[in-house]
Amino acid sequence: MQAPKKILVIDDEAYIRRVIELKLSKRGYEVITASNGREGLELIATKMPDAVITDVMMPEMDGRTLCERTDGLKRERPFLTVIITCRILPEERDWLVHMHDTLFMEKPFSPSRLAQCIDQYFNDPMRRQQASWS
Amino acid sequence: MARALLVENAGVWRPFRGSNKTIVRTYPMKSTKIGIVLFVLVLVGIGFFAHLSSRQEEKKKMKEVLGKGSYLVSLLSMHSLMDFQGDRRDFLLRTLAEYTSYEALGYFFVQDLDGAFLVSLAPGEISSEIPQEVGTKSFYTMGLIEQSFSRKGAQDKIYEFAKPIFENGQKTGVVRLGMKAPSVPLFSLERISLLALIAFIVFAAITFGYYGIILSLRPIRTLNQDMVQTYLNQNMFYEQNMKSNNIGTIMENLDKFLKHIKDKIIRIESDNTELISRLGLITFEKNQIINILDSINFGVVITDTQDNVGHVNGYLLRLLGKEKRDLIDRPLTEVLPYDDILAFLSQPQTAGAETSSRQMESMLPDVAPGDVYQCSYSYLADSDGVPLGKMILLKKVTADKLAEKAREEFVAHIAHELLTPLTNIKSYSEMLMDGEVDDSEMQKEFFNTINDETNRLTSLIRNLLNLSKMEMGNLTLNRGLVRTDWFVEDCIGAIEASARDKNITISTRLPDNYPSLLADKELLKVALINILGNALKYTPENGSITFSLSEEDNAVIFEVTDTGYGISEQDLPHIFDKFYRSTNAQITAQVGSGLGLAITSEIVQLHDGEIEVQSTLGQGTHFTIRLPKEEFSIAGA
Repeated sequence: MQAPKKILVIDDEAYIRRVIELKLSKRGYEVITASNGREGLELIATKMPDAVITDVMMPEMDGRTLCERTDGLKRERPFLTVIITCRILPEERDWLVHMHDTLFMEKPFSPSRLAQCIDQYFNDPMRRQQASWS
Repeated sequence: MARALLVENAGVWRPFRGSNKTIVRTYPMKSTKIGIVLFVLVLVGIGFFAHLSSRQEEKKKMKEVLGKGSYLVSLLSMHSLMDFQGDRRDFLLRTLAEYTSYEALGYFFVQDLDGAFLVSLAPGEISSEIPQEVGTKSFYTMGLIEQSFSRKGAQDKIYEFAKPIFENGQKTGVVRLGMKAPSVPLFSLERISLLALIAFIVFAAITFGYYGIILSLRPIRTLNQDMVQTYLNQNMFYEQNMKSNNIGTIMENLDKFLKHIKDKIIRIESDNTELISRLGLITFEKNQIINILDSINFGVVITDTQDNVGHVNGYLLRLLGKEKRDLIDRPLTEVLPYDDILAFLSQPQTAGAETSSRQMESMLPDVAPGDVYQCSYSYLADSDGVPLGKMILLKKVTADKLAEKAREEFVAHIAHELLTPLTNIKSYSEMLMDGEVDDSEMQKEFFNTINDETNRLTSLIRNLLNLSKMEMGNLTLNRGLVRTDWFVEDCIGAIEASARDKNITISTRLPDNYPSLLADKELLKVALINILGNALKYTPENGSITFSLSEEDNAVIFEVTDTGYGISEQDLPHIFDKFYRSTNAQITAQVGSGLGLAITSEIVQLHDGEIEVQSTLGQGTHFTIRLPKEEFSIAGA
């Protein structure tokens, strides 16, 4: 039996953390949470999650900084990053294309769709780079 | 002979029009005329000199005749009467003949005292032509007399000389001698050489005189030609005889020309006056433009085609901290030594871009650190499209950039704030619908969350609407009499339930007599509930909130004190800013839009009130709202 994939949920909204945590743990994932980027950064380093789900607009450290700081880690140990945000201006998405193994999901999002994306990633690791940008 | 037209209309010289500007030359008689004049002049001269010389000769001969007549009479009267009688008279007559010629001798008489003629020599009828009085006068004379008379029908004069004859102391008779006046011909053979000489001198004098005059008149002729040429050049009207060089025409031309010049001077003077006034106007307008350029609040540099600076306006001089004289005529690279701007300005000029302007943003780190300037330029050209240079504008857009950034952040923030509760509602309802939540307690929690988030969204939208009204200046107060006792109850009622959940005590300090207040109750409630809601949100469980109402002479005072996390010194100046949220973890853990206090502050200001805040981090916060009462007394009166 393979150990469950570890997923880190970073959001300053407790309600969102709660619903994602519930959805993913029901699918058999191990979920850990953080309420801002700084906390998330620490957990990525210490807990080495297989996937990170993060908001962009957060106090302390925003999602973009978090992604940029952790992108280098993926060379050693790839993991999926799902960015959930309402920032929709195309020029504000530019930085995303430089990130590896990163998906973008707009608010309001569907927890089922999120879970599907994560499932898909883990079931077909070859598709990492081509993961759909929904 | 063609004649050009001379048209003078109301003193205005009209230029001569038409194709016949060619001049018809008409000098066919000139040399002949001069010849005739010369010839006549020579003749007159010769005649004059000949006349003079013949007169002179006549006078000389006359003198001779007179002398001879006097002498002969005196000589003959010395004889006695007897000598004129008989044989003796031959001697006397021979003497007479010796001294006179036939042409000169008119007559010769010797009379005795009785008047009888002892000798009478008179050719033809001459004796009858001697006037009576001449004979009488001669007969009675006592000395030598000389008389003259003219014969009828003859041109020549006769001079009579008479002298008495004395013998033995007695007058015995009289001798009378008539002499013809000598006639000298005008032209005689012996004077021909003299006359020729005279003729030559006269001819030479006239010729020299003529050419001397011509020579001395040459400047006048040149003057005339110049005048005529000026006439032609100026396309003024021209009369063909104006070219003639005779003095009259020249003087006429000169007169016309002077008149024309006078007119022209008058016109030039009036033109000059007009030019001076126009120059004044242009100078004035130029100064106005410079003043306008100096008064606008962005930098202006005007360069020539060689990129040398021609003008720098006051704004830019102040910005660069330089004097105008230090920059004028300097190359642009010295005035604006910024590589990016210079590169932008030296872009190759594309076709058709003369009038278009481009722009770029730049920093001027040495003179205005931190500011962003928008640089734009356009090509300047005169009315014929000849390039004159560039006009470069430097506009400070720091505030615009900040405003733009703030606007973007505002929109992003609103989107985030609106989408967050929506996201929660959507995801929670989806979980319920998918049957992911089977536990009934958890279902209840999910439904509560959806309800809370709906309320949050509603309140957020209301706040946004209020904010939008405030921004547009449309938020108007619907004032009415507010019963403060009921008002306090309503406010506490709005937070009571949540306070109970967090086990927070709400205490009130209220006056015995509730003051009345003239205010917009609903808006004021929004203002106070925002403060009370914050107190509740940022006060940990088991804390307390105090809501007090008091009255001063002219104000009603609401105070809210909590035992919450407090506000840091950094955050304190910003708490009334829209969308400002502290970065304090205890604060960010709570849901908030950053709009509540901004709206509260706005509402208090609309009521002409004041809002104050005192806070100590970790101890709590104290808000005071002071609303003026005066309006109530006015309304109540």
